Amino acid sequence: MDALSTALKVAASGLTAQSERLRVVSENLANAQSTGPTPGSDPYQRKTISFAAELDHPNGPAFVEIAAVGRDDTAFPTEYQPGNEAANDAGYVKMPNVNVLIEMADMREANRSYQANLQVIKQARELISMTIDLMRNQS
Amino acid sequence: MQVNLFDLATKQSQWLSVRQSAIAGNIANVNTPGFHALEVEPFDKVLDGTRVAIKATQVSHLSGDAGPEPVSIRERADGPAVLPSKNNVVLENELMDAGEVRRAFELNAGIVKAFNRMTMLVSKG
Repeated sequence: MDALSTALKVAASGLTAQSERLRVVSENLANAQSTGPTPGSDPYQRKTISFAAELDHPNGPAFVEIAAVGRDDTAFPTEYQPGNEAANDAGYVKMPNVNVLIEMADMREANRSYQANLQVIKQARELISMTIDLMRNQS
Repeated sequence: MQVNLFDLATKQSQWLSVRQSAIAGNIANVNTPGFHALEVEPFDKVLDGTRVAIKATQVSHLSGDAGPEPVSIRERADGPAVLPSKNNVVLENELMDAGEVRRAFELNAGIVKAFNRMTMLVSKG
């Protein structure tokens, strides 16, 4: 396949991966306060995402794919909220293990990587149109 | 003479496209743990023609590499990975490389255009 259209496809796989990452971040942020349904039950568990390079050929293009969407196993912080329906006998509620600052940093990084991939797409398109322009204006 | 130049320009634009796709792979995998940046062998190595390729003598033969791609990609031998994820892609360097590819490609296309115009001028009179 033409190397430039391969570049477009690789960058598109990067866009997909980063947007999936942004989706996970938004799930975590949306559920930053989601407690469990019954007294003493576990709240929302933070999701993590990891990527892997997909090399089908040693000389081939390195597409990126989502390796796994996992769960963060760190302990849940507890808060004293006796009125909450998820509170245990002592009045403590398990809160999700989502750190908003970490999610924000993750979001920024996904944003930057998305931008870089967009830049690649833009440039590959320019290169292709430069080549096509060779055939133009030749009376 | 011109034929030689067009051949050279074709080779360079092929090399630049492969380089662009390598850069695209690096940027796409900028957050992949354990990924090593890929780079394309330098253009003078390609021009040397020291690589040995199997020639297809029949139409039904499959070429070893995909398509007319005489350029090989290898892992970049860089210093130790600075990130805990063992990923040695530096986004800034990749974007710089992409800019370089763009400039070289523009120059290449411009030269081909000019030479084509000259050839046309001569042949049409």
